[in-house]
Amino acid sequence: MTAGQLRLTVNGTAVELADVPAPERLLDTLRWRMKLKGTKEGCRTGDCGACTVLVDGRTCLSCLTLAHEVDGTSVTTIEVGPEDALVGRVRAAFEAAGALQCGYCTPGFVMAIAGLLRERGTGAPREELLEGLGGNLCRCTGYTAIVRAVDALRTETP
Amino acid sequence: MASFDLVVPETAEEAIAALQTLAPGEAAPIAGGTNLLFDLEEGRIAPRRIISLRRLPWRTLDWNGGALTIGSTLPLRSLEDDPEVRRRHPGLYEAVRNVGGVALRHRATLGGNLVRSSPASDLTPMLLALDAEVDLVGPQGDRRVPLDRFLQSSRRTDLRPGELVRSVRLPEARPSAFLLQRVRPANDISQVVVAVAFASSERSWRIAVGGVPPRPTLLPEAAASLGSGRPDPAAVRRAGASAASHSALAADRRASEEYRRRVVGHLVERAVAMVSGGEGFPA
Amino acid sequence: MTAAVRPDAGLKLAGAAVFGTDLDVPGMLWAAFVPAPVAHGRIRSLDLRAARALPGVTVIGPDDLAGLVGPGERDSERTLFAEGEIVYRNQPLAVVAAPSLSEARAAVAAVKVEVDPLPIVSDLEQVFPEWPGSDADASPLIAAHVRARHGNVDVEFRKADRVVSETYRTASVHQVALEPHACVAEIRGDIWFVRTTTQSPFGVREDASSLLGWPESSIVVEGTWVGGGFGGKGACFLEPYALLLARATGRPVRLALTYSEEFRLGRTTLPAVVRMETAVTAGQIRARRVRLLLDVGTSLPGRDFATGYSIGFLLGPYRTEAFEVEGYAVRTHKPPFGPHRAPFAPQCAFVVESHLDHVARELNLDPEEFRARHHWREGDTTPLGQKVGPFGLASAFERARSTAREWRAEAPPGHGVGIGCGFWSTSTGAGGEVRLRLGPQRLVVLQGEREIGSGSVLAGLTAVAARTSGLPPERISIEYGNTAEAPFDSGVYGSRTLGALGRAIEEAVTALRRTLAQRLGARGQAELSIERDEIYAEAGERRAALVVLLTPEEDAAGGILAEGRHFAPPRTIDEKRVLSGSFYPYTDFTGAAHVAEVSVDPATGAVRVERYAAFQDAGTVVDRGSAQAQVEGGVAMGLGTALTEEAIWSDEGRLVNDGLLDYRIPTLDEIPPIAVEFIEGFAGAGPFGAKGLGEPPIVPVPATVAIATRAACGAHVTELPLSAERVARALKLL
Repeated sequence: MTAGQLRLTVNGTAVELADVPAPERLLDTLRWRMKLKGTKEGCRTGDCGACTVLVDGRTCLSCLTLAHEVDGTSVTTIEVGPEDALVGRVRAAFEAAGALQCGYCTPGFVMAIAGLLRERGTGAPREELLEGLGGNLCRCTGYTAIVRAVDALRTETP
Repeated sequence: MASFDLVVPETAEEAIAALQTLAPGEAAPIAGGTNLLFDLEEGRIAPRRIISLRRLPWRTLDWNGGALTIGSTLPLRSLEDDPEVRRRHPGLYEAVRNVGGVALRHRATLGGNLVRSSPASDLTPMLLALDAEVDLVGPQGDRRVPLDRFLQSSRRTDLRPGELVRSVRLPEARPSAFLLQRVRPANDISQVVVAVAFASSERSWRIAVGGVPPRPTLLPEAAASLGSGRPDPAAVRRAGASAASHSALAADRRASEEYRRRVVGHLVERAVAMVSGGEGFPA
Repeated sequence: MTAAVRPDAGLKLAGAAVFGTDLDVPGMLWAAFVPAPVAHGRIRSLDLRAARALPGVTVIGPDDLAGLVGPGERDSERTLFAEGEIVYRNQPLAVVAAPSLSEARAAVAAVKVEVDPLPIVSDLEQVFPEWPGSDADASPLIAAHVRARHGNVDVEFRKADRVVSETYRTASVHQVALEPHACVAEIRGDIWFVRTTTQSPFGVREDASSLLGWPESSIVVEGTWVGGGFGGKGACFLEPYALLLARATGRPVRLALTYSEEFRLGRTTLPAVVRMETAVTAGQIRARRVRLLLDVGTSLPGRDFATGYSIGFLLGPYRTEAFEVEGYAVRTHKPPFGPHRAPFAPQCAFVVESHLDHVARELNLDPEEFRARHHWREGDTTPLGQKVGPFGLASAFERARSTAREWRAEAPPGHGVGIGCGFWSTSTGAGGEVRLRLGPQRLVVLQGEREIGSGSVLAGLTAVAARTSGLPPERISIEYGNTAEAPFDSGVYGSRTLGALGRAIEEAVTALRRTLAQRLGARGQAELSIERDEIYAEAGERRAALVVLLTPEEDAAGGILAEGRHFAPPRTIDEKRVLSGSFYPYTDFTGAAHVAEVSVDPATGAVRVERYAAFQDAGTVVDRGSAQAQVEGGVAMGLGTALTEEAIWSDEGRLVNDGLLDYRIPTLDEIPPIAVEFIEGFAGAGPFGAKGLGEPPIVPVPATVAIATRAACGAHVTELPLSAERVARALKLL
């Protein structure tokens, strides 16, 4: 197919998109087709993590993913509502720790942390969670406040 | 970026057939796609058709006695998460978890890493030290090729037109160690990669280095200087010196030749010490 | 440590903040630059016909400007496109717009350009292997030449106990704001309207006017949320091109850089070579000679601010009897030099601190004692003859030394502890203004800057308004208006926002409170408070709800209005000490002393920072959460400059590492625990004596890491960054 129908569940809502070209990245489908601009475009080469979303609960670099390759999956972005309790808890931890400044890396970080916690649980070793954030760059915070947010999430009772 | 179409075959036969409908270079398979999309974005390749391997039943991890078969489309994160892999192939576990970030490893695959044959691959030196074999499927049937022969040079492999990597086979679990040197510890391309394993069955060592063109390489002379068991300190130093004199070590924008030699020698010594001093080392 | 909740946290955590890259207007076209294929060459032909023939494509090249630009005088030094001669690689030759990005790129690919290559100047020391000679001023490669001198330098050097001379080299570093430059332009009637991610909407308007030849009154610039600035978004860049395309097509036009373009076209810090010579007699610095070769890329003649301002940071913050400085700005075939968080000051501090540490070691003096003895203190005179104002450096250094002593006592073998210092001055730019509206329930501050992330606009100005009005922060709104709506401000740069706009708020709030006191029949200023959800004013014996004090006009306007402005307080240097070029005075004096504990791998030279402490002179801390965040972020960014960041330019003027994989900003893994302590009481020029904190925290970092590295392993590295390989070389491992 050169263009085709794409079925996704995005933030809990089933969507059918017609005529999505084969080369289209998931990042562009979300941002320009679905107007979900919360997912950020940084480097577009997989090196900054700003475009991180969850695909079936696992972190995914949406800039390096063809939209059709995730046909039929469930995609979670920063726009997800309060029904996603885990993302909600990460947001609250970020707010309380002041873990954001310009906010451009923030959606990617929130999704990366939510994905790690979903994979590993809040009881995972601290080092393992922090190592898992090596693919997300932040230029403003120096990561210190982000680490405080992760620490708060680890110790809180789910 | 040029346009292409995408086909999603249900079986290996369909995938092989789809690959053959176009001239080589015009059709490209996609597994995780993390390398492929990078190359597309940079305009390095311009295929007319991309063949998705996502429906093929190759996301597997099978133990058969000591032998491990890793499906080519298994995400690296799944390989890293397997407790048996971590226990029985400690070097491979270390190598895998140093590839990119977690989100990348959720999509990137071993098959994709091998067919790209990047000199900078963090995985292939370890796989070489484990005597990995590559299982291929293609129009002329299945064949098995030692990884050392499969990798030819940067972006060149023994893969024939219409062939796909189905899996990678590691014949036995080995005490092993993986070390790298990077400018930035996380999320970087390595200046030097060193992989060391001890083949318990035949009581011999393997040493492989990577991070330099044209491809990661086994260093049999350096390995031989370690003898057939736990080496003494002088033998370890000889192995390091031998590895450091490996002719392919050259300068690029990541490191000078002399720095690479210095670091390779040191990392080989450390990796050998890790393996021979580790719990799994045979008495 | 609990930080106050940032006013923008909720919006950003919901993914609802619209950044420049997110701008999306129905029917908009996508634009892209046609980049110059070489760094230096003469354009033989530029054939745009094939690109123009593509469906839906519009191309604007140098020959198309006549019909689009205005009647006003245009900046003749800065042309929009390379005209005749290409002076840096990827310099725009033309710009295209198309219905999609892929069609725009196809149009770029269809442009045919023929270039006769010319010799490329890419490297300072290739041009001047020796120091520039007396004929250098005539060289077209010299963009600026600055010289200053005071005291009897030659005599002091002649009779010195010891003279120590060294040469240092520093690398090109990039801002790496994660959001690339992006804007969307539209023509709305007679108005050229552009929304853009910028640190300075009014600066963009002024520059766009001088580049396009249309009056400022016909251009409206509206800022978006800014995904990081660090100086890189302080100037007009993409906006004129997008405006021209919008004009030519009659459609909205989006122009955004890819991240590799962001690297290749970025205006940032370029390499430098510094020679330091210090004469010491009886343990005292008697005289210094400082010489600087600064790569300024394709910067224009006379624009020597970078050189004259930077060079001051190579002299201070240390007392010396006599000095001589000479700096050359050298033109190379690279994009123009541009500001990068405390431009060039971290590099200068690295040189000064490493050199003075080295001088003390050479003389068998305690390096920390030696530096402490020479630190500027309030009342001293700077080498350029300015009186040093309140300055917390000595206090910060004392705290740093006490921390360093503790850490040294605990440090395992292979670790080293070092202290680095730095200083900076808040700049105030061309002034700032605010408009206030005090209504029955809220105090609204209307101003012209968008929040770039530092918190200076939203958190900082809220804190100032709360403190000056007496109202709680939740009663304050900081509102943004575009350049047609808001009063003027010169930009969010130079650590100036809190100082300039904060002072303007102070003035306006004072005016409001005086007016209210008058209306209550009293002198002085009314006190404001909240009761049953209403703002009350109290003065003299009377107290009344604000709502009853408003005139009918104010009632209709939603509140009582006031304006406040702030301009830089005058400061001077001793011009007699200046021999040529321009040097600049400081608005205030902000010091910092940092401590690092590092470990060095003795086999590879790899440096790892294990822990870090920053003692920051802050005057008065206005908003603790933002202040701490600035120090943590500044330290992390400085660790990149210190250890891993290096933009590598090839001999062909090509940026070799134009992506985030090979241009390595720190990841979470490289950041140690960072302790932050503020030194208060040395008042700066901002409200309540605050000093700007956006830039000062980055200044001492490379110096601190270098000195700690030397303490750990003995490696004296005279080049930035301190890569493992450079440390290994200094250790003679190679």
